[in-house]
Formats: sequence, C-alpha cells, structure tokens
Amino acid sequence: MNLLLAFLLAASGDDPFAPVLAKLRETASKSVVAIDVERDSDPDGITGSGAVAQHRDYYNRPKGPTSGVIYEADGFILTSRFNVSGGIRKNGLKVTLWDGRQLAGELLGTDEQRDIALVKIDATALPVLAHADMSAVGQGSFLALIGRSPERSHPTINLGILSATSRMNKAAVQTDAEMNYGNAGGALITLKGELVGIACNIKPDTVWGQSGGVGFACKLAEIDKLLPRLKKGEKIEAEKRPFLGIRAGEGNPDVEGIQIAEVMKDSPAEKAGIKKEDVLVELGGVKITDSESLKEALEPRKIGDEVELKVMRKEKAGWKEKAFKLKLEGKAEP
Amino acid sequence: MTAALVLSLMLMQDPDLQKVQELQQKLRAVVEKVSPAYVFFGNGSGVCISSDGWALTNFHVSGDRQGQRVRMPGGKQFLADIVGFDPLGDISLCKLREAKDLPFCELGDSDALQVGQHVIAVGNPFLLGNGSWEPTITFGIVSALHRYMDNPGYFDAIQTDAQINPGNSGGPLITMDGKVVGINGRIDIKRFMNRVNTGIGYAIPSRQIQRYMDAFKRGGRVFEGFIDGIQIGECGDGRYDNVGEYGDGVFVARVDAETPAGKAGFEPGDIIFEAEGYRITNANRFHGVVSNWPEGVSIRVKVRRKAEEKELKVFLGDPAKILERKRAMEATELGFAQGPGLQLGAIQPGGPAAKAGLKAGDVLTHVDGRRVGSWTEFRALLRPNAELLLTVTRDGKDVELTLKVPRPKTDE
Repeated sequence: MNLLLAFLLAASGDDPFAPVLAKLRETASKSVVAIDVERDSDPDGITGSGAVAQHRDYYNRPKGPTSGVIYEADGFILTSRFNVSGGIRKNGLKVTLWDGRQLAGELLGTDEQRDIALVKIDATALPVLAHADMSAVGQGSFLALIGRSPERSHPTINLGILSATSRMNKAAVQTDAEMNYGNAGGALITLKGELVGIACNIKPDTVWGQSGGVGFACKLAEIDKLLPRLKKGEKIEAEKRPFLGIRAGEGNPDVEGIQIAEVMKDSPAEKAGIKKEDVLVELGGVKITDSESLKEALEPRKIGDEVELKVMRKEKAGWKEKAFKLKLEGKAEP
Repeated sequence: MTAALVLSLMLMQDPDLQKVQELQQKLRAVVEKVSPAYVFFGNGSGVCISSDGWALTNFHVSGDRQGQRVRMPGGKQFLADIVGFDPLGDISLCKLREAKDLPFCELGDSDALQVGQHVIAVGNPFLLGNGSWEPTITFGIVSALHRYMDNPGYFDAIQTDAQINPGNSGGPLITMDGKVVGINGRIDIKRFMNRVNTGIGYAIPSRQIQRYMDAFKRGGRVFEGFIDGIQIGECGDGRYDNVGEYGDGVFVARVDAETPAGKAGFEPGDIIFEAEGYRITNANRFHGVVSNWPEGVSIRVKVRRKAEEKELKVFLGDPAKILERKRAMEATELGFAQGPGLQLGAIQPGGPAAKAGLKAGDVLTHVDGRRVGSWTEFRALLRPNAELLLTVTRDGKDVELTLKVPRPKTDE
C-alpha cells in the first residue's frame, strides 16, 4: 500500500499547484465568461489629464474583453460594474461562453458601491459553480482567480491567498491574487473550485491600482441580498460621504499628523490651496494624529459644511502652521 | 477487503489537492498565530515582539514621538512610546503602555533564510483594515538576500515578492515557522503617481534588529556601526596595484593612527574579506555587513595581508562622538512633551521647562538666535549644563526664555 501511495505522489510531480490549477482551468473556468462592450461614451474609463493622461496604459480602460461569472444556470451573469459602465451602444454587449458561443447580453441592475452588475443572456443549463462554505475559508486559504481576458477562449488563472475576510464595509474579501482590468469581474474560487466571490473594485480611481497584490471580491452573501433588486434592473448608487481630496502618507518623523501624499485634482483640498507634503494637524478644532482621527473628525460633518483645517508646511525656515477653510464635497468610496 | 476500501478512498482523494491543502493548513496556522501580534501603527504597521508590549516598526512610520495611539487586531487601543530609533536604518523600537499578556511574535533567524522559501507579510496596505481592524496577509517567497540601498539605509535587506504596499511599512515578514525575520519597509515602484507594489519589497533583517536591540532599549537615537579611521576601495580597481580581483573583498587604502581602525591593527594594502563570519565581496557588502551592528560594539574582521590571513577586532564608531552624544542624549530630560510641529505639549511641573517659564502651546522658533526646524535639530543643540536662550511664539508674540539643560544622570 505504501508503494501505491509513493506511486501516486510521484505521479503528481514536485509542484502540487500545477495539476490542481490545470484541473480548475478545465472545469471551473467553464463558469467564467468573456464580456465585450462597445461604448459611445466612457466617463469611468478615462481619468485624469496632463501627466496622468500620458500614462493611459495604466490608468485607462484597455481595449479587449473583461470577465464575468455565470451565477444562475438560466443566463444570469455577474461582473464588475466598472466592466459595463459608460454609454453602451445598442446591441453592444456581448458575452462569450467557454465553448465559443457568443450571445447578446442585456445589462440589468448595477450596484455602484459594491461594484457589481448583473447581465442576462438568453441561454439555459449553463454550468454554475458551487458556493464555498465561508466558515471553512480564512486568512491564508489558497484561492485562484479566473478571468477570460485578453483571450476569450483561454482562461487566465492567478494564484493567491485570502488576505482579509472583511473589506469594503464587510461586502468584500481581499486577496493577493493579481487582479487587473481584464480579470476583474471574474471568479475568485477555492482550489476545490468553489466560488468565493466576484472580483471587483479594480478601476482607475482606486489607490491600490492594478496587480499590486491588493484585490477584492464581492461576497456571495452580499450578492444574494442584492440579486432581486439587480434582476429588476435597479441602478443602486453609492452613498456619498464628505471628502477632502487628500491621500495620506505613512507619517512624518518631525510633525504629528497626516502627511499628505497626494492632493486630488479639483478636490476641496486642492481648491483651498493645500499641497502635497503638507502635514494635516487639525480639522475643525479636532487634533489629527492619524487617518483614524481624521475619520472621527469628519464623522459629524455633512457634505457642504465649511471646515477649518490647519496644516504644517515645511518652508526654508522650518515648519510653519497654515490655516485653510474649505467646503466639504461628497464622493462615493472607494 | 480492507485493502480495497483503503485503495478506493485513496483514489477518491486527489493527492495534489491534498498536498496543497496540507500547505494551506500550515499557512493558516501560522497566520492564526502571528496575526494577533500585528500592530496598527498610525498610517503604517508594527509588530509586537513580547508579551509586555515591546513592538517594532519603521522609523518613517513612527518618528520619535511619545504616546502615539496604536491598535491591535480587533481594535484594542494602546499608547506607544518610542524608546529607541534608527532613522537611517528605518527601525523604531517602542513600548506599548500598560501592556500585559499581549499576543506576540518572536524574532527569528534571518541568516537561515534561503532564496525561494515561503514568507508571509502582515500589514495594513492602503489602510484597508482601519475600522474592521483586521490586518492584510500576503504570501510570497524570499526573492533575494543582502540587497543594498542608500537613504534610508537598507544596507542588508531581504527582498520579497510577498506584496507589500503603502501601509505595510513597519509590519513583519514571517517565515512558515511563525517567526519575524524582517520588518517590511520599502518597495520599488515604477507606476506614475501610484505607489503600488511591483513584486519588489524590502525588509530589514531580524538579525540586524537583534544586534541593535540593547542599544534601542537603552533609548534614544541609535547610530549604525562603521569602522572609523579607514579608507577602503573596491578590490580589482584598475587604478591601483595589488588590490586583488573584484569580488575578493575591499582593500584598505589608508589607516589613521589613534582611531579604532588604527588601534585594531589594520594596515594599508589589507584585503578585508570577512566580518563575523559573513563573506565580504565588495564595498556595498562591506557597508552592509558592518552596519549590521550599531556603533559602540566591537566586531571581528578577517583580512588577507600578503600570504597571511589575520583576524582583527575593531570597535565600531567614533568613541569621542559616542561619548558626546551620550551626554547630550541624557540631557534631553527637559520636562515637556513634544507637540505638532515645534509646539510644546504638556509641561511637567517642577521640570526644567516649567522652571524656564515655558507653557504648553508655545511654539519654539529659535535657540540662541538660530532658527530650528525640527525636534531633531533642537536635540542636536543640547549640551549638558548648557543655558539655552529659547525664542517661542506665544499668542502671536515672540517670548524669550532661558532653559537650563540638566546635568547628565551619569558622568564618565
């Protein structure tokens, strides 16, 4: 019997991942579709101006298909909302199945906050993935992300782990499997081939960028709650929160506060004259020590409120305090 | 019949999947052990290394401020005091106040690392864990060892493809046996305006941190070790004769007498090829190895002199400067807390600051008529027993006060 065991192990080779992933590529990938969209307008896909616009390959939506997941056997397909946003041309949404069939897709409901969209195709008896038992999946569980881009006929598999169980207001899990514009919308699965979530929230305006080892997948429990509304075609908008338009750096050795790593274009902070490298130390009389205290200081504020900000700015003569007034604008996160 | 049953069970189980699941089980067990010891440190990360609350982070995350609010997974808050710090090497040792029975993760042996072995990074990239207070786990391998970079001085860094991003800084790099082998601190980025990992991250090795630990615990700024009184060149440099081949080590070009190098017995023409068991192949590796120790300690260095090999023992750092700094550091008990910018925080009653007439909220601008830009600059001006004329801004007006720097606690 030991001999047999040795034979079985030897047959599998040294790298157990290769055969496991190869099997998923044959089986689970049948539930992952390619989505092509022709647009008349694309406000989400093109961001920034000036220098950002020069780096279009990184910031802008590339040409080519994106991915989706067959969620119900009678033609309901989930994808990232970003994949199907913008002004879709008439008959401009096409879904390609694992077997090469290309069908017209109809966009039903979308959810902006969760970055999820539901597409319907006219087909039945499609293969669906079993749902993972999330009580058995935890931080460190191996996961595979399957997409169908850039080639519709060849699935792409990226291996990673579950990085965190609760992100995006508990709606998503986080993975370090590399996520790009093409495999966003695809299926995040366990290595047994069970669905964990729909890859989402990889879009030009996110700070984590693409394939940086930070990706998300909307949880199935969340999707199941949304599904009736999505089937009705509801376009659920994200809740807007007051925002300043700054991105926090990791800290400054000299000054306690939030060192500003980036001031977003046309944001309230930029309009007020706040600059990159300034250290935010006070908001509306509340001392700011880190991002958490900023969140607490913004909590009671409403969109349209005017707030006073104090920053320390490094000048030739040393750090100098500067006061600004700005009007909070609303923005959906992330 | 039993054999047949076993056989059929075995055939049902995919052996590859089983192997993967065994690795997964190991990985999840490590994550379960180390993740509770993670520290949410400001806009970066840290890790608790003892049950009574000693924690490590990057200097670029912590600075040297006292009483910073940090959290452990789940959200429990602590105040952290920075005890010892090395701005160049980018490490801070801090102590969490009122810490007892904390989950911790001990330091492992970074010298035992092998390129290709699995490692785990725990961190808070893009502050995604704020609110849920669940850190992010990423998984990768050791891509390279002994990477050398200037400013900050990651002179002997571990390179990993475990994805680390802004917010991961100060967090631990962990082996599959659950030990901290490095503090993640720096990434190579290329993408315009987007600080996102490209598969290249660097960590400061645990062995270096262990060697600095005594100095960190004594408190204040810790300086990297260097060999004072020596000038070196790259072996094989075509401009010189008899300096070996590139890769042999570094050659000694000049030695000043009455310096630690002179006293250790270095001679011009020596080829330094080893220190404390580490092979030295070039100038970067020489700096990388030597700065694995803080100043103030002695290390054994091997040189090749003509046909001979010699072992020399050399003291690291400039002894006169070390003594001077020690005195200055001990004089920093001035009785006030550092606020934002150069603002004074709470004033300790009866302390030197209170005696000078300083008040909380005063903003320091000048010392002896010289403008100061940071607390680090201010501390550099401190001398024991000195009387400093401070200019502070109070209610929009300049106020001048005399601060008497106390006598050092110990005098040598």
